[in-house]
Order: sequence, then structure tokens, then C-alpha cells
Amino acid sequence: MFGIAFGVLAVQTGLAPWLAVVSSVVVVSGAAQFALVGLLVAGPGPVLVATTGLALRHLPMSAKLADLIGERSLRTRVSLAWVLTDETFGLTLRASQTGVPDLVAYKAAADVMLYSAWVTGTAVGAFVGRAIDPAALGIDVLFALLFLGLAAPLIRTRRDWLVVGLAVASAMLGTLVLPEAWQITGAATAAALIGTAIRE
Amino acid sequence: MNDLALIVLVAIVTFGSRVAFLARRRPVPEGLLGRFLEVFPLALFVALATSGLVAPEGSLAVTPALGGAAGGVVGAVATRRSLVGTILLGAAGYWLTRVLVG
Repeated sequence: MFGIAFGVLAVQTGLAPWLAVVSSVVVVSGAAQFALVGLLVAGPGPVLVATTGLALRHLPMSAKLADLIGERSLRTRVSLAWVLTDETFGLTLRASQTGVPDLVAYKAAADVMLYSAWVTGTAVGAFVGRAIDPAALGIDVLFALLFLGLAAPLIRTRRDWLVVGLAVASAMLGTLVLPEAWQITGAATAAALIGTAIRE
Repeated sequence: MNDLALIVLVAIVTFGSRVAFLARRRPVPEGLLGRFLEVFPLALFVALATSGLVAPEGSLAVTPALGGAAGGVVGAVATRRSLVGTILLGAAGYWLTRVLVG
């Protein structure tokens, strides 16, 4: 449904339907693609600045994933990076904590499911989805709840609770003082930096 | 710049950030960087959840999204941090608040 929402929005903002699908095929990032179509009229500069702000959060995610999967071939590691989204990263991290034996296979399966749903959803939204209103179904809230569910098992210490409080405060403050594209990255980085400075 | 070229540039920036640490073989970072990597996922997920559940309306008024957040927290506690429990009770909170306050 999130892919359908993107497809509908992309066409409504003037992107050709086939380009909406191409963007989902090659970018595979909901946040970056929504920023792309939202800033399309502003030109390439704002689009690339927003994309960079959103992409910065992938750096610690890729480092953590590299740590989780251990020694693997370059081909495997590069292919796992292709669909390194918030969702697949969160699910893989959770799988690592619940004892899933083959994290590479797990991540690859999650990637295939998310990628196929994302591209297919975009195509449906771009070509035939004008009659569908995903926001009315509360799809955006389901994604937020997914992240809440992924965060819950990671809270183990008093420092973790402090990081939670800081991330909530930073995210709310970020809506007031940061451009939209930098809010998530800025809030998460600020909270993590303070959490890093605090010893258990 | 045409739209296709811009899409390709966005794809390059996005994939570049994703592959940065995966493409090279390096030992697990230690020290401050290692601790940052331990803490960052939690901060990221909470920020993502907050932006979707609390921040979108820009206030703490009782909204369906805030009802979803409350339901999600209750679900996480009641089901011992089950992912499915969190989502189901969060969705229930969302729809209940939506019915009650619109």
C-alpha cells in the first residue's frame, strides 16, 4: 500500500508513470523517493540535498549489518546493500537477536518481498491507483507501529531508556527547527551521540 | 537536468550510502564508533516511530496517530515486546481513537 501511495503521489506531482516505476526499481527508498517527487519542482539541488540527508542514516546501518553477517563474499555484501531499508534492517536486527541461523538468507528473503511489493505497488499506484487513498486506511501509522515494535526489544538498560527519551524529544524538536529531509537523521544521530557519550 | 537523470543521481547517492560499510572488509569498530553503532538503531527506530505517531500533527492533541502510539506502547508491554502484538494493539488504538474523536 505504501508503494501505491508513492505511485499515486508521483503521478499527481507531474512525474511520468513509467519514471515513477523506474525510481522504485533503482532507488528503493520510500523516504528518498517521496522527497524526490515532493521537491521535483524545486530542481535537482534541493532534491540531492534532501536525499543526502536521508541517506546518511544508512552509514551506521550498513556498518551494523556488516558486523551482523560477518565474513561474506563481496557479491553477497553488495547485493544485501541494494535493499538496505529501515524495514529490512530492523527485521534483520531482530532476527539476529532471536537466533535466526542464516541471517543472509533471512535478509535476502526480506529484500525480495519488500522490493517486489514496492515496485509492484508503485506500478499499481502510478497507472491505476488514482481511486485509492492509502492515507485513509492508516497505512502510514502501520509503518510507524512497525518501527515502535522494532525498537521495543532493543530497550534493555537505563541508557537505552535515556536514548528513547532523547530520540522522542529530538524528533519532535526536529519538526520545528530542521528541514523535513533532515529530521529523522538529525534526531536519531543526536540521540545516539548523547547515548554514546554515556557509559553504562 | 531531466527527471530520469535526477532519479539516477538519487539512486547513486542512496546506494552509495548503503554499500559504504558493506563493500569493504573491516573489523568491527571499537570505542566510540562501536558504541555509536550499538545505540543508533534504537535511536533511529524511535525517531521514525515518533515522526509517524506523535510529530505529524505538530502537537500532543488526542489524534488517531497518538491513539496508535498509546496502543503500541501498551501492546509492547503487554505482549513482552512482541512485534505482532505491538502492531496489532497499536492499530486497535489508532482505529478506536479514530472512531471516538474522528
